[in-house]
Amino acid sequence: MMKVSLFITCLCDMFHPNIGKDTVEVLERFGCDVDFPEAQTCCGQPAFNSGYLRQSKKAMKQMIRSFEHAHYIVGPSGSCVSMLKEYPQIFVGDKEWEEKAKEFAEKVYELTQFLVDVLKVTNVGSNFKGTVTYHPSCHMTRILGVKDAPVILLQNIKGVDLIELPKKENCCGFGGTFAIKNAAISSEMAAEKSQHISETKAEYLVGGDMACLMNIGGMMSREGKNVKVIHIAEILNCR
Amino acid sequence: MGIQIGKKTYTNRVKSGIEDPFMRQAVSSAQERLKDGRIQSEKGLGNWEEWRSLGEEIRRHTLDNLDYYLEQLSEQVEKRGGNVFFARTADEANHYINRIIQEKNGKKVVKAKSMVTEEIGLNDVLEKEGVEVVETDLGEWILQLDDDPPSHIVAPALHKDRERIREVFADKKGYLGTNHPEELTQFAREQLRKDFLSADIGITGCNFAVAESGTITLVTNEGNGRLTTSLPDTHIAVMGMERIVPTWEELDILVSLLTRAAVGQKLTSYITSITGTRLKGEIDGPSEFHLVIVDNGRSNILGTEFQSALHCIRCAACINVCPVYRHIGGHAYGSIYPGPIGAVITPLLDGYEDHHELPYASSLCAACTEACPVKIPLHELLIRHREIIVEKEDQAPISEKIIMNSFAKWASTPAAYKLSTKIARPLLKPWSKEEKVTNGPGPLKGWTDSRDFPTPSKQSFRSWYKTRQKGSD
Amino acid sequence: MAIQHRESFLNNVAAKLNRPRKKSAVTKPIWRKQPQWDVLKGCTQEQLIQVLEKQCKVIHTSFKRTNKNTLANVLYETILEYGGKSIITAEDERNDLYGLPTFFDRLGEEKIDIHVWNSGKGEENVIFAEQANIGITFSDMTLAESGTVTLFNDKNNSRSISLLPKHYIAIIPKETIVPRMSQATKTIHDLHEAGHKIASSISFITGPSNSADIELNLVVGVHGPIKATYIVVE
Repeated sequence: MMKVSLFITCLCDMFHPNIGKDTVEVLERFGCDVDFPEAQTCCGQPAFNSGYLRQSKKAMKQMIRSFEHAHYIVGPSGSCVSMLKEYPQIFVGDKEWEEKAKEFAEKVYELTQFLVDVLKVTNVGSNFKGTVTYHPSCHMTRILGVKDAPVILLQNIKGVDLIELPKKENCCGFGGTFAIKNAAISSEMAAEKSQHISETKAEYLVGGDMACLMNIGGMMSREGKNVKVIHIAEILNCR
Repeated sequence: MGIQIGKKTYTNRVKSGIEDPFMRQAVSSAQERLKDGRIQSEKGLGNWEEWRSLGEEIRRHTLDNLDYYLEQLSEQVEKRGGNVFFARTADEANHYINRIIQEKNGKKVVKAKSMVTEEIGLNDVLEKEGVEVVETDLGEWILQLDDDPPSHIVAPALHKDRERIREVFADKKGYLGTNHPEELTQFAREQLRKDFLSADIGITGCNFAVAESGTITLVTNEGNGRLTTSLPDTHIAVMGMERIVPTWEELDILVSLLTRAAVGQKLTSYITSITGTRLKGEIDGPSEFHLVIVDNGRSNILGTEFQSALHCIRCAACINVCPVYRHIGGHAYGSIYPGPIGAVITPLLDGYEDHHELPYASSLCAACTEACPVKIPLHELLIRHREIIVEKEDQAPISEKIIMNSFAKWASTPAAYKLSTKIARPLLKPWSKEEKVTNGPGPLKGWTDSRDFPTPSKQSFRSWYKTRQKGSD
Repeated sequence: MAIQHRESFLNNVAAKLNRPRKKSAVTKPIWRKQPQWDVLKGCTQEQLIQVLEKQCKVIHTSFKRTNKNTLANVLYETILEYGGKSIITAEDERNDLYGLPTFFDRLGEEKIDIHVWNSGKGEENVIFAEQANIGITFSDMTLAESGTVTLFNDKNNSRSISLLPKHYIAIIPKETIVPRMSQATKTIHDLHEAGHKIASSISFITGPSNSADIELNLVVGVHGPIKATYIVVE
């Protein structure tokens, strides 16, 4: 049995525990033995991307420590996972942590990437039904390089009618503290994304990053739109 | 003028940008066309990633050996009858150029588009000395007539529509025609041809200098670069010191990357390579040639974590994909270098004091890094800037520092983290309604002004996981 | 004059790079990837002509094909298309090889003003070129991929000819066609290394001048020629 340690991400832990549940159940369905290292906290990205390197390293060390005994580390977020993948670069030259960061990062996978590349699952046999459009998040695609896995998984679900999102590569405007510091610009970007989603007339917006979905969903909710915003794990685990 | 444009605050500049629907529409459709053109032309080259790697390798090698190649360049220019002036500062460059023009008793200068002369504020200096300076690139000419700074490094007048251009031509040049681009362009041709024929001095930038032969190369479409280097008797080329390649073989690669990345063309209409003065028996071309090599802060970037920013070939591919640029436009950056590359180099060249907001004007979506033909890790350099602003420049708000220090404690103390998963919901309760926050406190306000924010879940994942474990025990 | 402020400038550059000045020759590395040689690799001359013809559509340039015997007719036809009037052309040794002097005489008889660049006549050449309706030159190297003619400008094939008139005609000897810019720059590099003096102006010309500075609308014909024709000659 493949041993997998779940990296929940702080956002899902606090705001969207159901996505964690779905992730655990999907992984278990495909034969994984999932554990949840309780000492995990946040990947450190909010501080790192804002220029608070010292502060972010404290979070990163906590994460490395928490997953020391893991075989595989799998998380339902392209952005947070890409942050973990950058640890080795961040700890270059740090005698104590460089090696640990490297070992740690090699074990890390994003959920759909893990399903397709490691478990070799392309058809999850989900029972989901509906018209769906998929937002490929920036860090997932550009930094982590996961472009095809989520689309393959979605395409192979019988009841999913996948509609291509116009200008899908555009950022939704989340960008961590950018959404706060540059709220005016961020909200213009979210409105533009929302507009493109409306053009698809899809019932569901699906993504692999809760932060982006929270941003886009928050905009569409304020605009009074009925599009349902769901994480890909929710579709994959629909039985 | 110089690098900085205008005196408005960052917040006001962003606001003006967002509230300018024409500009935003123009920028959005321009981005779309330029980006599509780039992607199409990249496909035509076969393995684009190999081209990018080659471009990066060439730039890295050249910058690592910059003193050697600049020396070789200057020797070769001199061999071909040219003069070379090394200018550490904008003032030194302007002073030298002005002196040359005064010595020649020059009255009229025709200029081909050059960002570095914008950067050093050359036109103002010359005009104060009574020299007539005529920008001959169509976009630059429009801006010069309207006394407006560029908003894009390749398409400088992107923010203006045809009607505004017609008005400018009518007001400043007595134009009586329609606002059709063909007719406006024809008018510019007629007007500017007179200037070309009567100018004493031609001033150009330099896209790439070739060290081995002392050649400067101009990449243009309109033909004004050729006219500027063919008709006036004196040619002054101004180059940023990093705009150099070792030999003609590398010129090929960088020109191929530039024209594709900038405008999706295999080559632009004119790639003009000038070596020294005109030769014996030649009638056109200058009898006197000056190359001004400008540092103006660039050397301070060498040997630092930002050195790769000097690899930039000014193609604007990063600008053409940037979602922030799309919504706020070029002027909002307050720099003649806008967009991601502008946000990286402006604080380096002109200091953090006036430009410390720029590194934050990015969602770090990395579209810029992906588009860059010489692989500058632009979004990573923006994070490096933020680190400096926080640590060295000490320009981050105190509230932010307090939050980030608390973050560090929170994220490195599992018990504190766990506690927060329990109390987050009650803490946000005063602002929560129907599982959402619509009018959040403190830092959340910016978010909730336009978007709803979710309330923390009744049960955290970790708490659910615990009960699940117990159930299965 | 000549070179000023160099030493302090370059010493500072070296210092910023944290090392002493590099004085002895720097060896350029062999670049790890060289994809430029794969573009149009192995194409026959005929295939390159087809690539060139296709690219001409993209660059708003008329493409014609002929041989030495019929070149005069094709040139004549093109000149009429452009409205005849006045023509400036280079003093080129290839003119004789392609039988052009006789053709120029014929134009003269038809009251089309033809001026062959004559460096002895100084400024007069430029003044004529500026008023001329058509400029004609040979291409020294032709780049199929981009549709580019390369001119090594000199006292006989002057910069103005391909620049100042409203229309431009390039005569392209078939054997000048190469895949892309890489072959041309390699040739220039090799000539330079072999000690040849390179031309004071090398012009890579790709179709007529154009601009997209007004709302990104492409307008063909700005400061340089407004229309261009390439004639490939076998």
